[in-house]
Amino acid sequence: MQNKAEKILMPIATKLGNNVVLRSLRDGFLIITPLIIVTSFFLLIGNFPIPGWNEFWTGVLGSKWSGWFSAVSNSVFSFTGLLGCFGISYAYGKNRGLQAVNASAVAIISFLILTPTSLTVGKKTVSAIQTLYLGPNGIFLGIFIALISVELYRFALKRHWTIKMPEGVPPAVSQSFDALLPSALVIFAFFLIRIVFSLTSFETVYNFIYTLLQAPLKNVGNTLPSALLYNFLASLLWCFGINGPTITNSVWSPIFFVLTQDNLQAFQNHLPLPHVFTQPFIDIFTTYGGGGSTLSLLIVMLIICKSNRVRQLGKLAIIPGIFGINEPIIFGLPVVLNPIIAIPFIVIPTLNTLISGLVMTWGWVPHTNGVLLPWTTPPIISGWLSTGSWTGSVLQLFEIILGILIYYPFIKMLDNQYLREEAAASKDLDIDFSEV
Amino acid sequence: MKVIVILDQIQAGLGGKERADTPLGGKRLAMGSADTLEKSLKKIDGEIIGTFYCGTTYYQDNADLVQEKFAKMAEKMAADVVVIGPTYDYPEFSKMGCELATYFNEHTSVPVLVATAIEKNEALITQYKASLMIVKVPKKGGTGLSSALNHLVEGCQLATKKEDMREFKQQYCYS
Repeated sequence: MQNKAEKILMPIATKLGNNVVLRSLRDGFLIITPLIIVTSFFLLIGNFPIPGWNEFWTGVLGSKWSGWFSAVSNSVFSFTGLLGCFGISYAYGKNRGLQAVNASAVAIISFLILTPTSLTVGKKTVSAIQTLYLGPNGIFLGIFIALISVELYRFALKRHWTIKMPEGVPPAVSQSFDALLPSALVIFAFFLIRIVFSLTSFETVYNFIYTLLQAPLKNVGNTLPSALLYNFLASLLWCFGINGPTITNSVWSPIFFVLTQDNLQAFQNHLPLPHVFTQPFIDIFTTYGGGGSTLSLLIVMLIICKSNRVRQLGKLAIIPGIFGINEPIIFGLPVVLNPIIAIPFIVIPTLNTLISGLVMTWGWVPHTNGVLLPWTTPPIISGWLSTGSWTGSVLQLFEIILGILIYYPFIKMLDNQYLREEAAASKDLDIDFSEV
Repeated sequence: MKVIVILDQIQAGLGGKERADTPLGGKRLAMGSADTLEKSLKKIDGEIIGTFYCGTTYYQDNADLVQEKFAKMAEKMAADVVVIGPTYDYPEFSKMGCELATYFNEHTSVPVLVATAIEKNEALITQYKASLMIVKVPKKGGTGLSSALNHLVEGCQLATKKEDMREFKQQYCYS
């Protein structure tokens, strides 16, 4: 059974893991993730989920205080499309063997070429760029621009469509001239793209991509089956020793990213949070203590198990486990290629996704506000911060306890096997190296 | 076939990076990730008679002592073959593995196989691939672990029977 599943899964996982476009999407979003985490804190402080918070600080710091914080959070959240384009073009350029900074520069310019630069205010038309085009709604556009512009740039470079400088010209100058014709090709292509779309009913590429791609994909991604499939596959791959989320994220991360940014923008504007299945939902309400929700497993290992090896590992791994680090248990128990533990390891995150998804859809727990907390934030705290409600913490606690109940019979089976092994070797199992 | 497996503290199930100062030790059973290898070994009547472990920092500070103790104990326990790893793409453990294997080759008659990933270990593998049997395994979280473990078991069988390993090395090891 295990071999069959492996035969089917492995080629797919290998292909997805090695696909340069998917890898670049994942890596590109990772480039801007630190910025999102840091500015999320400014957003959270400006909108802390405690009644009277805003009034209290207005009394202390004056009415402008929230503007100070939103200036920082807006610097990222209103420009996620552009920043995504930057990160992905950088990663894609690097993965394609180009000077990543050059690839990024042409992608950003291409993005700006396609961005509408005039705005009608009343009867007047003014020159301005609306953040509407540069923010979450422009993320898919940013992805396409990044990939196409870098590919065009590479196309020209590969054919040596460059201006050769005489010997003795400093490298910085000749490199700049190397980039001239490839950049011209990219700019000219996007110039044409802008003109072509202005002649259609879509008027802009932004409208075209948003209507035909981003909105439909968002709708598909923002469903319970999509989230269930994500977590099922991520956990299943871990059981074969493959870092599941790195594979599944390569497909889902653009969608989760857009959904998260939508919620964040709504949170910032004090509007109802539109989506359930965001990145924080996946990170904070489906697994606890790392992939497979191993915090529950660690608690059983510590409280109930009797064999020395399981108890000792439980003691050593519990503190990192609280902070979401489960490497010691993945390899040390081990989880990898361990059919007994594979069952709860897959079932629990999938079940948690189902429960959290339903509970949030029914409105028993508020939707996540989109604030990207560091992945090491312990459960209970993360549940409260990400939803602004104690019910978020209660949901986490419930799912951790549920995980304990499900892990119990499986780890007990393993524990009993280890106990038998330890008893069978009635003499001391330790090897005494002082004998040699 | 009596196999001894050598692991670092993470793979032995003795904690994470913060436990790199774990002193050398061992148990007469399959610890941590050796458990997975044992399942494959059992199919061909192999057994793990002991797992030796050592934290990577402890090893760096006491390399001579650890090499000598591990080699002498493997001979004393009459192991047919010693497996080091899989060390995945952990560079410290991979280095420890190659150094230990070299010591085994020079000072014992027990055949030894190292299992490591190319990622983060390119220079190390270039340095040792000619003199050692370094079986290819994926990086941590990479694809193909299961088949790599099967290759490792096949290597153990060949080494135990003292058969020609050139083809095996060509196919499944860095060469």
